[in-house]
Amino acid sequence: MKRRIGFMAALALLFAGIAQAQFIGNGGPQQALGRTQAVEYLFPEQVSVPAGKPTRVLLHFRVAPGLHINSHTPREEFLIPTVFSIPEGKGVRLEAASYPAGTDIALPVDPKTRLNVYTGEFVIEARIVAEPGNHLVEAKLRFQACDQRECMPPKTIPVAIDVAGK
Amino acid sequence: MKRNTVVLGAVLLILAIFAWAGWANWEYRQQAAEKLLANQAKGELVPDTAGGPARYVSPLAGKPAPDFTLEDVKGRKVALSSFKGKAVLLNFWATWCGPCKLETPWLVELRNKYAGQGFEVVGISTEGEDLKPGDKVGWAKDREAVTKFAADMKVPYPMLLGGDSLSQPYGGLDAMPTSFFVNKNGVVVAAQMGLTSEAEIEANIKKALGE
Repeated sequence: MKRRIGFMAALALLFAGIAQAQFIGNGGPQQALGRTQAVEYLFPEQVSVPAGKPTRVLLHFRVAPGLHINSHTPREEFLIPTVFSIPEGKGVRLEAASYPAGTDIALPVDPKTRLNVYTGEFVIEARIVAEPGNHLVEAKLRFQACDQRECMPPKTIPVAIDVAGK
Repeated sequence: MKRNTVVLGAVLLILAIFAWAGWANWEYRQQAAEKLLANQAKGELVPDTAGGPARYVSPLAGKPAPDFTLEDVKGRKVALSSFKGKAVLLNFWATWCGPCKLETPWLVELRNKYAGQGFEVVGISTEGEDLKPGDKVGWAKDREAVTKFAADMKVPYPMLLGGDSLSQPYGGLDAMPTSFFVNKNGVVVAAQMGLTSEAEIEANIKKALGE
């Protein structure tokens, strides 16, 4: 009987410790609002293309709500365009990239200036040529994002695509 | 009896593993919380309790503005400490930043209005390009773009290059424009991130002047 009580007490202590460990952290410092990821690569993660032959691949991206990024052809010279690229020597070559047209907007703070931007989801068409075999390509997307009042520094995000040249 | 012992031992072992996992999780959360606290040295946007737009809260508020020395567009070295005894508006901006260009005429006007009271604006170009010191072509382009902008906007105050090097001491510089208002004792009395209004900038200038 004493053994059983001792055993149950030990179990109760163990469970108490486990339960407490799960809840610790809620009393820690609250995270203030910070910067969201401005652009996210959605898909495809894997593509299969004929080796050595230029093939069209559609790459889907999404701009975070409330933000916009300059299109590939912004209206002002000083604005940083959105550009997709693939590093050389990785078994996959980017022959050409076609970008969507972008939407013309004017911000309430500056109604006279028209910006050509991407918002929400957009698609870049990439014509790639892959050598035979599997290649994990770390392509890149460079962009510069703003909301209605402020702008974030230009950023380059990785675009990881598994390319099988068959 | 022997079987019961084995079962009991197995149960205790599994519980011990759970306990260890819980302890490891707690340790991880403690470390994450400490790391978050350390990162609180960065400026953050916090929700406005009155329901207005998020406010920029700088970790530098009430503290001495970190000193620095940068080059202006003519290659002359300019130190923050050289403005000692003046109220200063440190304006971090970028050539690709539309809101920055919108507020510049206000800064020019306010600088001219309050210069006689010991006030100066210092524009600091912060391109986010991570230019290496030896990148002569990159720096030359940067200098050319800033010089052109300053000429177009008739900027009467110093325009410095290389603001990215001040990101850590000035709380991260996550977005442009970001401004710090420094009083005559070198203490940061206000900070702004994003385009606000000429009236709000003027109010902070008066705060820096001690009015």
